[in-house]
Amino acid sequence: MSSSTSKAIDPSSVELWDHSHHHHDVLSTRTFGFWLYMLSDAMIFALLFAAWGVLSYSHSFAGGPIPADFVKPGYAFLQTLALFGSVLAYGFTMVALKNGNKAGVISGLWGALILGAAFLALDINDVVHLLDAGITPQRSGGLSAFFILTQTHALHILFGLLWMLVMLVQVSRFGFTTEVVGRMLTLRLFWHFQAVIWVFVFVFVYLRGMLI
Amino acid sequence: MLVDLQGPWSPLLGRLALSQIPYENHILAPLFVVVVILGLAIIAAISYFGKWGYLWREWLTTVDHKKIGIMYILIGLVMLFRGFMDALMIRTQQAMAVGPDAPGYLGALHGYLAPYHFGQIYSAHGVIMILLAATPLLVGIMNVIVPLQIGARDMAYPYLNALGLWVTAAAAALVMVSLFVGDFSHNGWFGIAPIFELSYSPGVGVDYWMWVMQLTALGSTLGSINILATVVKMRAPGMTWLRLPIFTWAAVASNIIALTSFPALTVALALIGFDRYLGTHFFTAGLGGNLMLYTNLFWIWGHPEVYFVILPAFGMISEIIPTFSEKPLFGYVTMVLATFGIAGASWAVWLHHFFTMGAGPAVNSFFSVATMLVGIPTGVKVFNWAFTMYRGRLRFETAMLWAVGAVFLLLLGGLTGMMLAIPAINYMVHNSVFVIAHFHQMLLVIVYAIFGAVTYWWPKVFGFKLNEAWGKAVFWLFTAGSVLVFVPMFTLGFMGMTRRLDYVFNTQWQPLLDIQVLGIAVYSLSVLAFVGMLYVSIRDHAKNQVSVDAWGTARSLEWMTPSPVPFYNFAVVPHINARDEWAWRKEHGFTDLRPDHYEDIHMPKNTGIPLILGALMFLLGFGLTWRIWWLCALSLALIIALVIIRSFDSDTGYTIPADEVERMERGHHERARAVDLPAAGVLGGAIAYGQADPAVKGQGAALGGGMTSPEGSRV
Amino acid sequence: MDMWRKKLAHWVRYLALAPVLLLNGCSTSHFWLFDPKGPMANADLYYMVIDVAVMLTIVGITTLMIIWFLWRYRKSRGKGTYDPKWSHSNAIEVVVWGIPIIAVAFLSYYAIEGTYALNPYDPTVIKEHTVAGDDPLEVDVITTDWRWLFIYPKYHIASVNELVVPAHTPVYFRLTSSSVVNDFFIPQLVGMIDVMPGMRTKSALLANHVGEYQGFSADYSGAGFSWMQFRTKVVSAEQFQQWTQQIQASPRQLSYAAFNEFAKPYIDVSGKPEYFSGVQDGLFDHVLGEVMNGKVWPLPMAMTENMVDYMKEQNARTSTRTSN
Ligand code: HEM
Ligand SMILES: [Cu+2]
Ligand SMILES: [Cu+2]
Repeated sequence: MSSSTSKAIDPSSVELWDHSHHHHDVLSTRTFGFWLYMLSDAMIFALLFAAWGVLSYSHSFAGGPIPADFVKPGYAFLQTLALFGSVLAYGFTMVALKNGNKAGVISGLWGALILGAAFLALDINDVVHLLDAGITPQRSGGLSAFFILTQTHALHILFGLLWMLVMLVQVSRFGFTTEVVGRMLTLRLFWHFQAVIWVFVFVFVYLRGMLI
Repeated sequence: MLVDLQGPWSPLLGRLALSQIPYENHILAPLFVVVVILGLAIIAAISYFGKWGYLWREWLTTVDHKKIGIMYILIGLVMLFRGFMDALMIRTQQAMAVGPDAPGYLGALHGYLAPYHFGQIYSAHGVIMILLAATPLLVGIMNVIVPLQIGARDMAYPYLNALGLWVTAAAAALVMVSLFVGDFSHNGWFGIAPIFELSYSPGVGVDYWMWVMQLTALGSTLGSINILATVVKMRAPGMTWLRLPIFTWAAVASNIIALTSFPALTVALALIGFDRYLGTHFFTAGLGGNLMLYTNLFWIWGHPEVYFVILPAFGMISEIIPTFSEKPLFGYVTMVLATFGIAGASWAVWLHHFFTMGAGPAVNSFFSVATMLVGIPTGVKVFNWAFTMYRGRLRFETAMLWAVGAVFLLLLGGLTGMMLAIPAINYMVHNSVFVIAHFHQMLLVIVYAIFGAVTYWWPKVFGFKLNEAWGKAVFWLFTAGSVLVFVPMFTLGFMGMTRRLDYVFNTQWQPLLDIQVLGIAVYSLSVLAFVGMLYVSIRDHAKNQVSVDAWGTARSLEWMTPSPVPFYNFAVVPHINARDEWAWRKEHGFTDLRPDHYEDIHMPKNTGIPLILGALMFLLGFGLTWRIWWLCALSLALIIALVIIRSFDSDTGYTIPADEVERMERGHHERARAVDLPAAGVLGGAIAYGQADPAVKGQGAALGGGMTSPEGSRV
Repeated sequence: MDMWRKKLAHWVRYLALAPVLLLNGCSTSHFWLFDPKGPMANADLYYMVIDVAVMLTIVGITTLMIIWFLWRYRKSRGKGTYDPKWSHSNAIEVVVWGIPIIAVAFLSYYAIEGTYALNPYDPTVIKEHTVAGDDPLEVDVITTDWRWLFIYPKYHIASVNELVVPAHTPVYFRLTSSSVVNDFFIPQLVGMIDVMPGMRTKSALLANHVGEYQGFSADYSGAGFSWMQFRTKVVSAEQFQQWTQQIQASPRQLSYAAFNEFAKPYIDVSGKPEYFSGVQDGLFDHVLGEVMNGKVWPLPMAMTENMVDYMKEQNARTSTRTSN
C-alpha cells in the first residue's frame, strides 16, 4: 500500500506482549507521587516567603510593631531543637522499621510525636503572647505576612502530628503491611521536609527579623 | 478575630437569609423554576427506570479512569453551556446599552442588566470557561487517553483520580449555586486588587469566587500529580521516553506546569481569604498592604495556566493531523522540545499581563522579550503541523476539520499575542476588547482541539462514530459564529473600546456590537446542531459501529484496544517496539490482537468515599462563603475523619482470574470481527481477531525470548 | 529619521486599515488607535505597524502555504505525491526554527526601543518634541469611586470629569486613586497607565492638535466604571490661560475636608464637569498619605449587590446629560 515499502521483520524475533508479569512497584509509585505533592507544597511556601519578602520592608509595618521589637531568636531556637529532636526520633523509628522492630517503631513514633507537640506548644505560646501584646496580623501588612507564614508551617506540623497518631494505631493494629510501610516512608519525607522549611522560617523570619 | 461585616448574621444560617434568594429577579426566578423542574424530571426518570443502582455502581463510585474522564467531560460540556449563556447575556447587554439614550429594562439604566449584575456575569463567564469548562474537558480527555496511550490499566492513583473529579464537581456545583443563592463576584475571573477587599465587595460574591477557584486548584493539583506519576511509573515495557505518543508528552508538560503553578493560585486566594475573613492587610492599599503583590501572584499562576490548557490542545492536534494525513508527525523530537520550550518559557512572562502598572522600562523590556520567545516554539509547532500534511494524503473528516481550523486560529492568536507582547502597543490595547479577542482566539484553539478530540476518540470510548454530516454542520456553524463575533471584536479594539463596559458610551461602536450579536445567534445554532449530532449519532449507533482502529490510519497504542475499551484496558500489557506502535504493527503485519497468553489482572475496587468527600468539600465551600461556622467545622471534621477511615481500609483491590479475562477478551474480539468483516476492504482486512483457533496461542510465548529491539540485526 | 518614521506610519496606517474599512465603511476617525493626535499615541501606532508588518508577513505566508498543502495533498484528487514515511528533514527543521528566531530577534529590538521611547515616567518621545524653554504643565490626577479629579497645582484649581490642556505643551501627570485601581487612557493622545490607591504613578502627553478627545478609565473599578469618562479638551495657550482664570473665580473650594466628601462613592451618570478653585496645597500627597495610612471610602451594600434601586434614584437625580 505504501509507496516506500518497509523491510520485513522476522516475526519470531519480535516481542509483542509483555511476559515479565511485572507488577508496578506500589511503594516507589507512592513515594514518587508524594515527592510531587511536596514539590507543590514547596511552591506554596516559596510564594509565602516571597510575600513575606515583599511585605517586610519597614513601611510594611505601617508604623506599628516591627519584627526587631518582638522576634526572639533564642526562643525560636528552642523550637528548632524540639523539631529536630522530633526528626531524630523519627529517624530511630525508621531504623526500627528496617529491623522489623514493632516496639521500637512505636516508641520512636511517640518520641517524634511528643517533641513535635512541644514545638507546636512553644509556637502557640508565642502567638498568644504576641496577640496579647497587641501584635496582631490585623495591625499591618508586614505582621499579616509574619503570622500567616509562620502559622502555615505550624499547621503543617499539626497535620504531621495527626498523621503520626494514625500511624501509631495502624502499626500496632496491622503491623508492617505494604500500606503501613508506605505511609511510614512518606511520613518520613513529610517530616524532614517540614524541618527543612522550618530552617528557612528560622533564618528568614526570626534571624532576619532582628534586622527589620 | 473575625472582621465586622455589613448586614445581618445569625449563628444558624450565617449571612444567609431568605432575601438572598433572588425571587424577584426577572431572569433568575424563571430560570430557577426551570432548573428545579429539570432536576426533578431527571430524578424521576432515573427512579422510573430503576437506574439508581446502576448509576451508583457504574459511575458515582467508579475509579475507572475512562469513566472518570467521561464524567469530567460531561461536567465540562454542561459548564461550557452555562458559560455560553453568560456570553449571550454579555453580548446582548452591550449591544442594547449603547449611548445615553439607550432604553433600560428590568431596572437597569440601559439595557437589561444593572452594573453589578453585569459584572457577575462576565466574572462567572471567565471563571467557568477557563476553570470549569476548558480544564475539565482537557483533564477528562487526558484521563481517558493517557493511560491507554502508554499501555497502562489505570492511573497510578485511581482513588485520587476519583477524588479530583468530585472536587471539580463540587466547584462546579458551588458556582451554579451562586446563581440562585446570593451573588457571584463582580471583579473578573482574575480578581482585581483591591476590589475584592471587604471595603469594596462587602457581599458574598467574592467568597463564592474564591472558594470555587480554590476547589478547582485543589482538583487540578491532585490531577496533575496523578497524570505525572502515571506516565513516569506506569508505562508499558518498551515504552521509552522517545516512543511516548505526542499527546502524552503534551500531558506531561502541561501537568508539570499545573503542579508547579497552581500553588501560586492557592496562595493568592488564601491571602485574599485572610484579608476578608481575618482582616489582615496583604492586598489592601493602606497599612502596609501591597495590592501589586496580588497581581503578581495571580499571574504567576495565570499565565502558566493558559499554557496548561493550550498544551494538551496542541497534543490533540498533533494526534489528529497525522491520522488524517496518513503519515507520521513531522519532527517528533522538535515537537517535544517545542512543547517543553513553551512550558519553560511560560514561567517567565507573567508580567505581560500588567505592563501598564508602571514598572520601569528595563523590567517591561525583559518581560516583553521573554513573552515573544514563547512565539518561537509556538511557531515551530505550526510549521511542523504544516509539514505533517505536506506529502500526506489528507482526509477531511470532521476531526481533521477541527484540527486544521485550530491551526488557523492559532496563527491569528499568535499574531495578536505578538502585538500584545510589545509594551508600546500594549499600552494602547491592554484591557481593551482586542485582548479579549486575542485570548478568545487562543481559547478557541482549545475548543476546536477539544471538539476534534471528542470526534476523534469518541469511537474508541463508545464503539461507534459520531455522525459526519452533523459534525461538519457543527463545525461550519461554529466557525461562522466565531468569525462574526471576533472579527468585529478585533475591529472594536482598534477603535479603542475597552473591556467590561456594562454601558457603552460611544454610539459609533453600535454596528459592530450588533454584528457580534448576530454571531452569538449563529453560535446558538451550532449548539443546537451539536445536540442534533449527539441525538442522530446515538440513534444510529448500530450503523456506525467500529472495531479497534476506527479511522483505519491511526498510529498510537490506544487504537490497539477494543472499542469500546474494556474496563481493564489491556488484557495483556503490550510490549512496545516503536514510536507509533500501532502503525508499526500494521506496517509489519503484527495485527493479530489476540495476546499470546492471559494472566490475572489486579484492579482497584469501586469506592463511594471520593464522592462523599466532594460533597463535603462543597458544603465546606458553601459554609465558608456564607460564614456558617458550624457547617464548616462539621464538614471539615468529617473530611478529616473520612480520609483517616479510608486509610484503615486495606481491601481496596480485587483480582480477575486469567480465564475470566480470556473469556471477556474473546467476546470483544468476536464483536470486533463482526464489525470489521463487512468493511474488511476499508481496513485492508488487516486486523486478525480470535477465530476461535487457539493454535496460534503458543507462538508468542515461544518467541518471547528477550528480544526487545526489532530494529536489531536480525531484521 | 523622524520624517520617514512618520511617513511610514502614515502610509502603512491606511494600508493596514483597508480590510477593516471594507468591513464597515467607516472613516479612520472612528479608529482612535489609527488617528493619533500627539507623539505618544503616534509612536504607539508606529510600533504597531512594524510589528504587524513583520508578523503578518510570516503568518500570511504560512497561511497560504497551509492552504496550498491542504489543496495539493487532499486524498481525493490531490496532485501531490504521497510519502507515508516522510517525517523528518534537517533543512526544514532549521528553517522552521530559524524564521521565528529571526523574527523575534528583530521585533525584540523594536520592543525594547519602544519601551524606552514610551516609558510613561520619562518618555523620550516627548522630550524629542519639546523645545528648550517650553514650560510643561503639571496635572495631578486622583480617581475616586467613580470620578476623575484633575488638579492643576500651579493654578490651585481642579476640574472633575474634564481635562483641559494647552496644545504643543508637554503635560506631566502624577496619578493616584482614593479607592480602587483605574487605568488612565486617552486613546488618541496617550496609552494606559494604572492609577492605584496608596501609590503614585506617572504619565505624560503632548497634544499637537486642538480638539476634544475622549478619555476614560480602562480598568474595571466597580459599579460606576462604565460612566468613568472624561473629556480631554486641547486648547490654545491663550484659551488655556483664560480657562484657568475662569476656574479660579469659581466659588467651590477644595480642601482635604471637601475632598473627603467628594470621594464618597458616586456614580456620575451625567458626566457633567465640575470645577474647584482654592485647591489646598499638596492635596495630592495628602490623599496619598491618608490612603497609605488605611483611609478607605467603603461601598455601601446598595452599590455592590442589588444596584437596581440605586440606579433608578441616580437616573431621577440627573435628568440632564451631556452626550458624547
Ligand atoms: C504566542 C503566544 C502568546 C503571546 C505572545 C501572548 C501574549 C499575551 C499578552 C501580552 C497578554 C496580555 C494582554 C493584556 O492584558 O494587555 C495576553 C493575554 C492573554 N492571553 Fe495570551 N499570548 C499568547 C498565547 C496565549 C495562549 C496560548 C493562551 C491560551 C489560551 C493565551 C491566553 C491569554 C489570556 C486568557 C489572556 C488575558 C487574560 C485576561 O486579561 O483576562 N494567550 N496574551
Ligand atoms: Cu469568553
Ligand atoms: Cu500571559
